[in-house]
Amino acid sequence: MTATPDPRLRPRDKLTSDTRAAYAFMAPALIGFTVFVVYPLIRSAYFALTRYNGLTAPVFVGLGNFRRMFTTDPSFWPSVRATLLLVVLYVPLSLAIGLALAVFCNRRMRGVRVLRTLVYLPVVLPVVATITLWKFVFNPQVGLANQVLTWLHLPTSEWLSGEGSAMPSIVIVMLWSVGSTMIIFLAALQAVPTELYEAARIDGAGPRTMFFRITLPLISPIMVLQVVLQLVTALQTFNQPKILSPDGLGGPGFSTRVLMLSIYNNGFPTLGRVADFGYASAQVWVLFLVIVVVIAATARFSSVWTYSDHVS
Amino acid sequence: MPPRKTVRTASWYTVALLISSVMVLPILWMLTIALKGHAAVFQVPPRLLPDEFHFENFIDGPKAIHFPRLLLNSLVITGLSVVGGVMTSMMAGYALARLRFPGRRLWFYVFVGSMMLPPVVGIIPLFQLFKDIGWYDTWLPLIVPAWLGGNPLFIFLARQYFLSVPYSIDEAAKVDGAGHVRIFFSVMLPITRPAWITMAILAFQLSWNDYLNPLIYLYSSEKWPLSVGMASFVSQFAGQTPDWNLYMAANLLYMLPPLAVFFVAQRYFIQGLSALGTVNQR
Amino acid sequence: MKRTLHAAGALLVAGGLLATSACGGSSGKEAGGKTTVTVMTWESNATNQLIDKALAGFSDPGITVKRIDTPNGNYGDKLASLTQAKKLPDLFWCGNDTELQYTGQGLLTDWSEKLSGSGSGSADFTTGSFVPTAMKNWKTADGKIGGVPSLMNTYGIWYNIDAFKAAGISVPAAGWTWDEMYAAADKLHKKGAKYGLVADAMTGLDAPFSLSLYSLSAGGAPFADSVNQPTKVTADATYTEGVGKLVAGIKSGAVAPPGYDISNQQSLFAAGQIPMLWSGQWLAAGFLTDKPKIKYGFAPLPQVGKAATLYDAVGICTPSYTQNADATFKVLKYLDSTVWTKVLPDSPVAVPAYTAAQDAYFDALGKAGLTTVASTVKADLDAPLTMGVRFTTQWASQSNDLITAYWPDILQGKKPLSDLQTMTDKINDVIKSNG
Repeated sequence: MTATPDPRLRPRDKLTSDTRAAYAFMAPALIGFTVFVVYPLIRSAYFALTRYNGLTAPVFVGLGNFRRMFTTDPSFWPSVRATLLLVVLYVPLSLAIGLALAVFCNRRMRGVRVLRTLVYLPVVLPVVATITLWKFVFNPQVGLANQVLTWLHLPTSEWLSGEGSAMPSIVIVMLWSVGSTMIIFLAALQAVPTELYEAARIDGAGPRTMFFRITLPLISPIMVLQVVLQLVTALQTFNQPKILSPDGLGGPGFSTRVLMLSIYNNGFPTLGRVADFGYASAQVWVLFLVIVVVIAATARFSSVWTYSDHVS
Repeated sequence: MPPRKTVRTASWYTVALLISSVMVLPILWMLTIALKGHAAVFQVPPRLLPDEFHFENFIDGPKAIHFPRLLLNSLVITGLSVVGGVMTSMMAGYALARLRFPGRRLWFYVFVGSMMLPPVVGIIPLFQLFKDIGWYDTWLPLIVPAWLGGNPLFIFLARQYFLSVPYSIDEAAKVDGAGHVRIFFSVMLPITRPAWITMAILAFQLSWNDYLNPLIYLYSSEKWPLSVGMASFVSQFAGQTPDWNLYMAANLLYMLPPLAVFFVAQRYFIQGLSALGTVNQR
Repeated sequence: MKRTLHAAGALLVAGGLLATSACGGSSGKEAGGKTTVTVMTWESNATNQLIDKALAGFSDPGITVKRIDTPNGNYGDKLASLTQAKKLPDLFWCGNDTELQYTGQGLLTDWSEKLSGSGSGSADFTTGSFVPTAMKNWKTADGKIGGVPSLMNTYGIWYNIDAFKAAGISVPAAGWTWDEMYAAADKLHKKGAKYGLVADAMTGLDAPFSLSLYSLSAGGAPFADSVNQPTKVTADATYTEGVGKLVAGIKSGAVAPPGYDISNQQSLFAAGQIPMLWSGQWLAAGFLTDKPKIKYGFAPLPQVGKAATLYDAVGICTPSYTQNADATFKVLKYLDSTVWTKVLPDSPVAVPAYTAAQDAYFDALGKAGLTTVASTVKADLDAPLTMGVRFTTQWASQSNDLITAYWPDILQGKKPLSDLQTMTDKINDVIKSNG
């Protein structure tokens, strides 16, 4: 810290040189923002109001796509239902299991590092590799899942081939990678000062009280962040339904045709069917608005849930 | 040890064992399939240990999908994406955290806000854009976005970490006459090592695993990264059953690089992620 | 640490150079005035190698033929991408629906002039050289044709002779009925098979057309009056009766329900796990390489009154921007007439639509001892009643969604049979609103 201002750098010059440097440093990110955020927003909004197959010129149809989506399209509402089912199953479970595992691994036991690594292992592995592996695990005839169930004398399941069991199967595959949630919670848990626990123990608090009155409040900012991230990711799930569904289209029926998959099928249809970019863009905007609402709602309620000891 | 503690320790280890097996069992099973012969894969009931050990699957499998070429593709695409992503994010984070200029709060919120833009909004317009400028069937759509600050999460991480570095270091360097570039490269980067190593690991995983983008932008099979190459191995077409044993052998090899990266950089990763977990310092 | 950074840096620069080399690349004219004609297939590795060998026999001083390697998974995705990028190869394997849709949009070269035999075409490669139904269904309403049929898919029931013997039932043969098929499936299921019959064609998106065979054969109306230019769809009394029998079969567990994962069905059949499999004649080629343990046969689809079968011809299409149409047409002719005669003996995938090349296929089957396959295919080609296998129109995805919304639920008893009428009404609405 200098006591007297350096005559070489007067405050106003410093500000300009800082500003110039700042924009220079931020230049790539700014370009990226314009090209990859602003441009797609505007262009996809335009496409949503057209019928466009990518090859001939777009034809303006106004709100026709949205009308078709909400009234005549037999696949839209089932898609919404499939997406919601995935979110409702996946997000609470991944947070709960992630937190539970983090608490479990937050001990000084011998071998806990091995355990942490093993739990994180599925996250490290390439997603396509693990998803295709699970596709085979869930094969009703020759897969590991039914074999294990038969050993335990439990009833077998159709897994990905059954209308009721397909989505839960996909959620199980996604939950196998719960290690990433665990790691973040683990980092948050380790940031909680141990003196608080010591003090509580001296006051006679049991482990349950300590968890609910100390741990949870102190990690609540992270919890909110995790909730938002998980919700947004879950709403955009694509890889799993595309690879795991038997026909790649979200089967059986519409049970796994989440919105992202439906968008992809309309935008990049297989076997040379003509694309419908306009309709797909309309679906994109519906999904986008859902995400915005979710984030806004969470942000709204987060101030109620979180504990913060500083003014930001 | 007092008896109650023994029971508690023992039960901890039992649960730990259970969890480990759930995480690891599918991979062990993959190894079993990789060693089986073609017909043995479809035996019902499936046998856990193969009767005959077909080690040649580890050669035939990768050969069937031109593994070495795809591996090279993945390495190049991922390598370039990681370098670009980390570099530009650290630069942006540095500007937002260390430099005082009007609008830095605004830009921070803008970048963080763009984190909420689902990538899905961009698929079709960007596809059209890249097609129109002739980047279709090249690696450019997969690499260039990273070089333009493509992942706002990294900018967020960078800024948070930079905020925790005391300003006295900047001041000291400035007194020595260092310009911003010098400060950034020689002073800040070494200090923030956990942050950018974490980012590098995350960027590596994001790029190595990316399936949708290469699927859309690349149609020449010799340009595919491993993610698309491996998935196309198991899609059924014209009634042909995939060779699961060959596939699992190739799959195991496909999993090795990210595993290696993770083991090498584990320590930094935990440290860096703690930047997300701590309460803000100012 | 510094040295590793340097090494990594060097690697990345090398990678960057590689990346720039990976940009671009195209087909077209080579130096020296030769034209390259590119070909893309969806065949398996084995068949592709045979095709390569046969293509080597194409001798023309001004033309080089190059086959683009396509792992056959994701062929559909790849085709969609290539179409968007306007980089389709000069000749690519295409289905009937692709050809009709693309021709309708003006994306394909129109071969109708060359195929009429006059002028620039050749006398032995005209519309008359092909199986009539194939050619008829490949032309659009205004007589254009953007591709040429190459192979005809015929459908039937693959059956496990050993399983039938063990259950004490006589094997299927031409002329067998739907009731006999369901009864056999039931007995085989009771004897221990998980499902006596696996028929994705009756439970998947093409199901309404497959069930048309029942009503057609019984003298009723087919599901759609045309697959290429349909005006309406109907589910009359005989049709509903046919669906009802299927519902009963699924309910008793004898027939595999909708959603059954068919990605491994070929191998499962070969391993003896599936006693009856509704599929196409192309499995024969696969069975010749991975010899199944079981004794198997191939029977025509069952009938009620007259024999009825599904018609489905695949072919080879050419984009409108092909560099040299004449050269492409020459290679196309060679592919469709000569290449198959060289490929089929070792890999009898299907019967050619080009009539002069058909003997090669039947001879190959005869040599391999697949007599039931040969007789079934011949019977299918001669069947008096035929039905297209799916809609080939632009709006097909909308009708497919309607089928997905109703068909599986009806089959599993979750919706009543009368909902067939609701489904057909809604599909008729789609037809009307799309002109």
